[in-house]
Amino acid sequence: MRFVAAAPLLAALAAPLPAQTASTRPAAPVNNCIECHLALDDGRVSPPAKSMKDDVHAKNGFTCVFCHGGDASKDDQALAHDPRKGFRGKPSPREIPELCGKCHADAELMKRYNPGRRVDQLAEYRSSGHGKALAEGDTAVAQCASCHGAHGILPVKDLRSPVASPNVAKTCNHCHGDAKLMGSHKLPSDVYAKYAKSVHFKAREKGDLSAPTCNSCHGNHGAVPPEVGSVANVCGTCHVVFAEQFKLSPHWEAFKDMGLPGCVTCHENHAILKPSDAYLADGPQGRCGSCHEKGSPGAVAAATMLAELTRLDSETRETKAIVRRAAEAGMEVSRVQFELGKADESLVKARADVHLFRVSAVQKTVGDGLAVARKARKDGQKALAELDYRRRGLVVSLGLIALAIAALILKIRDIDRRRASK
Amino acid sequence: MSSAAPSPGTARLAAALSWIGDRIGWEDLSHVAAKKEVPIHRYTVFYYLGGMALFLFSVQVATGILLLLYYRPSATEAFESVQYIMAEVPFGWLVRSIHSWGANLFVGVVVLHMLSVFFLKAYREPREITWISGALLLFLTLGFGFSGYLLPWNTLAFFATRVGTDVPAQIPWIGPLLSRILRGGADVTGATLSRFYGIHVAILPATTTVLLGLHLVMVQKHGMSVPPSIEREGTRGSLRFFPDFLMRDMVGWLAAVGMLAALAAFLPWELGKKADPFSPAPAGIRPEWYFLSMFQALKYLPAKILGIPGELVGVVFFGLVAAVLVTVPLLDRGASKGRSSPWWNRLAVLALVGAAILTVLALLPARGAGPA
Repeated sequence: MRFVAAAPLLAALAAPLPAQTASTRPAAPVNNCIECHLALDDGRVSPPAKSMKDDVHAKNGFTCVFCHGGDASKDDQALAHDPRKGFRGKPSPREIPELCGKCHADAELMKRYNPGRRVDQLAEYRSSGHGKALAEGDTAVAQCASCHGAHGILPVKDLRSPVASPNVAKTCNHCHGDAKLMGSHKLPSDVYAKYAKSVHFKAREKGDLSAPTCNSCHGNHGAVPPEVGSVANVCGTCHVVFAEQFKLSPHWEAFKDMGLPGCVTCHENHAILKPSDAYLADGPQGRCGSCHEKGSPGAVAAATMLAELTRLDSETRETKAIVRRAAEAGMEVSRVQFELGKADESLVKARADVHLFRVSAVQKTVGDGLAVARKARKDGQKALAELDYRRRGLVVSLGLIALAIAALILKIRDIDRRRASK
Repeated sequence: MSSAAPSPGTARLAAALSWIGDRIGWEDLSHVAAKKEVPIHRYTVFYYLGGMALFLFSVQVATGILLLLYYRPSATEAFESVQYIMAEVPFGWLVRSIHSWGANLFVGVVVLHMLSVFFLKAYREPREITWISGALLLFLTLGFGFSGYLLPWNTLAFFATRVGTDVPAQIPWIGPLLSRILRGGADVTGATLSRFYGIHVAILPATTTVLLGLHLVMVQKHGMSVPPSIEREGTRGSLRFFPDFLMRDMVGWLAAVGMLAALAAFLPWELGKKADPFSPAPAGIRPEWYFLSMFQALKYLPAKILGIPGELVGVVFFGLVAAVLVTVPLLDRGASKGRSSPWWNRLAVLALVGAAILTVLALLPARGAGPA
């Protein structure tokens, strides 16, 4: 799991090195590199030149020589590629992080372009699984160019960038889905397939980019799998309430003692499915049974919590059906519907309380929800009774109106008859 | 059969009536009522529309007064007060639903009344003032509908009013000021609600009372108009207004009450969601059915027509239609002289068909949105 996510690297890190000086912004230089490389029409050297049109560095005045050295003012290859002018050709993977870091770790330089830009990417990278492996001589690991690209580097916010939020998982999967490569590192290659089943992935598919992707949990430049003891902290960055409750629960210490990875123990790591109350049950979806034997206090507590949740859920559903029936008949029950929303809130809260693993906490929250649901049920039934009363009243009223109309018609006929007889 | 002596109670009632009659001229009124007659011919049925409109107006006044007892005209309380009327006030649901359904029925009957008067040429001399006051009453009726629509302060009404109050702004020079006066500010706010409330419960009723009074006096003065074709053929006699025609009127009124009660019981008027001025306008915003044709026509107009803003052309066109409608008796000189006026009839049929098509187009969900 060391390289479980090929963390996306900020475009900033991949920026080329100003070969002459890193502390001066380049003045619009002559760049014969692009012209020559395009004219060569060589499948190996022309594409980089073509892709520089949109490159964020090129747009900021950084030319090829800032990374590759040489003399861009010369239109002769030998002079342009003169090693005495610092020409180094294609940097090796081991050189790349340091090369990019020359600018991107330079706070003085970076603030001229973006004062808010972080400059700790290189330090982070060195702490990452990728960085450590690279330092040990493993060049088959991700470095800056692996994620950001080498040429035509786009800002992270550009949706075409491989490290733009919607593209991160696929970018990581380039390597982490490669069975041969992952096999050589003793890592699983089905991470993306598992993630694609997760509730997080499905949320992102619906356009919710706040749902986590690889770098949300693993970091980007400092990508490492969360340690066993820090899983709850990582999940807790979004699931704050659950994490706090879990830390107050008896499981917190027990899991630590048993070396179990917190949230992941019940919810998985990548294939995180939408949880259900069935997690507390005995069945195939049940989670508690793997540690708590049937009939043990833990199993009984799980069953009790499940029964409480089911009770509130079913009573709320039944009440909603009653209130909906009244609303569909045109009764004004919007206040009741609003109040009933509090029962839903209680159910959500009770499900969160499960992470305290204390039956009394769940029972208290469920009790609050049940009180709301029962009051709403009474109001809903009252509305239905009122509806019935109205319709019966209407029948009586229409009967009286029909009688009055009949009486009028008879009277009219009587008058007409008398007039005619005169 | 011998006549029994009246009981003391009956005698006292007769004395009281006599006392009142001496002072208000009861006998004169009875005399007038006895003289009032309704011609009988194949179009007599259309005479009931005027009485029906008057009856529905009375229903609106009565239910409106009852709603006033609980309604609170402010942006913070209006919606909740209507919600309270619908859910808590005994028979509040009935009163509010009858008021809302009644308003629609009232507009429909007023339009039918006007169409029957138009096609039967009842506006011809000497009834021009009756027609003009009636046409103005139609506009007031539409004004009641427009101002009343906003009062529950729900989402649909809020955004429809925003669109509706934008329309007068297209009029050159005075348009923006007119729109501002209507809204009580730059946008629809609580100030607009207060303003519309004032218009709905004070300004329009007062104006309507005056015009309706004039309209009824004119109807009494000139009596029922007989269509030119019937004048040539001759009527089948006449019917005494009181009690013969009035009792027939009452049959219709009772049926209307039954219909309103059934609508209130089975289809209570929806309240919707409280207006939120900061939320985006929901899809499917549209005014009440009687404004739909104008609403749709404005949507179809191009941005510019001969260099003039399309909406301005539309507003001017509707203004002209209204002006023509009011002045029909003065323009249609043929009808005044007892001649038929087929071109006016064709024009009216064309306008009706156009309005009906536009209304249907506005109601169709897929095409209701019309061009952007």
